[in-house]
Amino acid sequence: MPAEPALEITGLVVEYDGTTALRGVSLSVAPGEVLALLGPSGSGKSTLLHAVAGFLVPRAGTVRLGGRTVVGDVPSVPPERRDLAVVFQNYALWPHLSAVDTVAYPVRRRGAGRARARAEARELLGLLRIAHLADRRPAELSGGEQQRVGLGRALARRPSLYLFDEPTAHLDTHVRTVFLEELVARQRDSGAAALYATHDAEEALGLADRVALLRDGHLLQVGTPQQVYGEPVDLFAARLTGPASVIDAPAGTGRLLVRPGWARLGGPLEGRLRTVRFRGPHSDHLLDTPLGEVLIREPGPPVHEIGTCTSWALVHGWPIAS
Amino acid sequence: MPAVAPTGARGAATAAIGTVVGALVVLPLLRLLQVLWQESGGDLARVLGSADLGAAARNSVVLASAVTLAAVPIGVATALVLRRPDLPGRAFWRVAVLVPVVVPDFVLGYSWTQAYARAGFTDSTLGLHWAGLLGPVGVWLVLVVNAVPLVYLVAVGGLAARAEPDAERAARVSGASGRTVLVTVTLPLLLPAVAAASVLVFVLTLGTFAIPQVLGAPAGFDTVTTRIYADLSIGGDPASFLEAIALAVLLVLGTAACVAPADALLGPRLRSARPADPQAAQALPGRPAARRVQAAVLAGYLAVTTALPLAALVLASFTRALGVPPTPGNWGLDHFRQVLTPRTAEALGRSVGLAVVAASLLVLLGALVAVRERRRSGRVAGTLITLTLVLPGTTLAVALLITYGRWLSGTLTLILLAYLAKLWAFAHRPIAGALDRLPPDELRAARASGAGALTAVRTVALRPLAPALLGAWLVCFLTALHEVTMSSLLYGPGSETLAVIVLNSQELGRIGPTAALSVLLSLLVAVPASLLWAAVHRLRSRDGGPPALGIPEVARAG
Repeated sequence: MPAEPALEITGLVVEYDGTTALRGVSLSVAPGEVLALLGPSGSGKSTLLHAVAGFLVPRAGTVRLGGRTVVGDVPSVPPERRDLAVVFQNYALWPHLSAVDTVAYPVRRRGAGRARARAEARELLGLLRIAHLADRRPAELSGGEQQRVGLGRALARRPSLYLFDEPTAHLDTHVRTVFLEELVARQRDSGAAALYATHDAEEALGLADRVALLRDGHLLQVGTPQQVYGEPVDLFAARLTGPASVIDAPAGTGRLLVRPGWARLGGPLEGRLRTVRFRGPHSDHLLDTPLGEVLIREPGPPVHEIGTCTSWALVHGWPIAS
Repeated sequence: MPAVAPTGARGAATAAIGTVVGALVVLPLLRLLQVLWQESGGDLARVLGSADLGAAARNSVVLASAVTLAAVPIGVATALVLRRPDLPGRAFWRVAVLVPVVVPDFVLGYSWTQAYARAGFTDSTLGLHWAGLLGPVGVWLVLVVNAVPLVYLVAVGGLAARAEPDAERAARVSGASGRTVLVTVTLPLLLPAVAAASVLVFVLTLGTFAIPQVLGAPAGFDTVTTRIYADLSIGGDPASFLEAIALAVLLVLGTAACVAPADALLGPRLRSARPADPQAAQALPGRPAARRVQAAVLAGYLAVTTALPLAALVLASFTRALGVPPTPGNWGLDHFRQVLTPRTAEALGRSVGLAVVAASLLVLLGALVAVRERRRSGRVAGTLITLTLVLPGTTLAVALLITYGRWLSGTLTLILLAYLAKLWAFAHRPIAGALDRLPPDELRAARASGAGALTAVRTVALRPLAPALLGAWLVCFLTALHEVTMSSLLYGPGSETLAVIVLNSQELGRIGPTAALSVLLSLLVAVPASLLWAAVHRLRSRDGGPPALGIPEVARAG
């Protein structure tokens, strides 16, 4: 018997004071799978997570968790009785509770005594390498530390599904990478599925098994990171998933999407180098060509002067409607 | 904040604030102490030890404690219920619960007698009346009803500032039921606000005058404030004058004893809260049946405590004579014709004029302190001003009377001075709050775009501050309009305000005319209140700012 999806959403419609935030979204997440929700702000990512968590009651549609209907033809199941945990964008730590009591909170709600819950919480804090912060309150923690506590609280819940609501949005770049590694490792260890909302394409492509693109409350495309990056359904989806140039097809009709790595300097086509940006491991070259503007990424520092005529070659292109 | 004023102007502003605070508050209080010392011949213990005085002081303290114990839970519960987005008729209840704020407190007290006392509404229709209304229990009950909106506003502010919805969502999704979230997250976060509300209600009840005067004095139940009033308005001999001064000092000492530790303890915790955002205070949806029960309980509470008394008051003002059933056949405008004398019209004009002048000056003074407060040297002024909020009006009035009475006794100017001293905080808090919420970068951006200091304030800051300025003006105007604690002690021939006339009419036992006057006064307050409220609301919603009026700011000042 195939396992039930960890999460199955069908025809979800959410309205806030007359405006529609979600317009019939259907999705499913397999057990253990990480699905990234990628979309610009206001596209409905948070709304979708809130509907799954039970923070709001949708106008229409169903939500099933591990085969159990929590929204649909039954009275809406409250958040505390849904098998899931949330990591919030703004941490949502309680100002009056220390780190250890925060992580112990879900354990306590499962009926454990204070001592046992704290012991379990300390273990989790150790796993997240913040055992030394156990007795601090949120005001005495940095953003990265706060979010680790938030992650610890979610882990302590031992759910079958994690909801990550842009957990790195408020973190500094250098803290962010480390935290993200931590988060993914812990979530994979737990074997639970995850729904990860973000507006950062690199984050979504890098950590998810599949990516769902969201725009104005409906799904544009769902696919593997390679699919949504390499075969976007339209220009909006292409721009959402990374840098992209659109040029006239060299041979024949239509327009082509060209990712920065899909063209290289040197080759049969002609162009003039308009700008070049050194990015560390690679350099981005922006070329004016008869076919249109093309962005080409080459490893190493730039070799050509701005304004020089340069030849280039198209390695790959994806036909796209403009 | 960049410097917005040249050094000379800054010094002048500080000097102006210092002079006004000194003249209106510090000097009168010192003079009060001095007179007490002189008149008692240095034997303070003898004055303070008199038996009558002790009874009044005890009554005040017991009353204030009992009111706090009842009003705080009711107010907090109301705030928790009313923030449910799915409460049936929520928009209506949110306004209805504030009605006791807009109705002058002695009108509320008087309206209860029209509803539940002998020959009141329930007596003439059902034959039921409550004899205990005139007396300590009645005073307590009406004071509770009067204090609940204040607690509600403080709690709403606390909820918006501390209990952000994500904190509660995080608890729910950690496995806590709605009730567990309330106990483990919401209430602990609300604790500082609840404690502040308790202190505020306690000290304001210590200093309250009108309701004990209307409901308690006829039954021989004296508090410190009614005793001072009796000493000064009826007494007239040196002994009662000395007693009034002693009580005034006692009152301010009692208040200081409560406020000083509370402010030291709670101040930092309340100030560290992030800026209030009422829209974020929305709670999770819950069971519709529970919401309907909550709405029904709320409706019942408001009907019994506010709607029925006010309706009875209106009926009494239209019913021709005392004792006849309040049916349409017995309706008439006799009482209104009787009270609409030139004397009333003059008092009405005085009240409105006084309130307009006081509110306008207060907004000016409040804004001045709020701007100064943003520099370290100005903070002392800000704290001083906030303390005047809890300074008992009776004490202030007595102090001003003995300091300036020689020149200004019985004049409107003295009443105006009292209003300025007492209501400064009402103007200061909302403006200071709005200034705090104004991102400093907006002013910096204006300066960096080439605007001078004053131009930057005029073009960038004034517009977002407009709702707060208008709100502060409104709060001062309304409070001045129905103020009676100080004006009843300070008025003289030819300077009665409308509120004083209502109070006097009530003391003379003229039931129908008093009801008519009360209705007039309430309309006078309610009509501009609703108009200005709508204006402030529109200003705010257009800017996407929080829709609440300045009242929560005032309430949080304690």
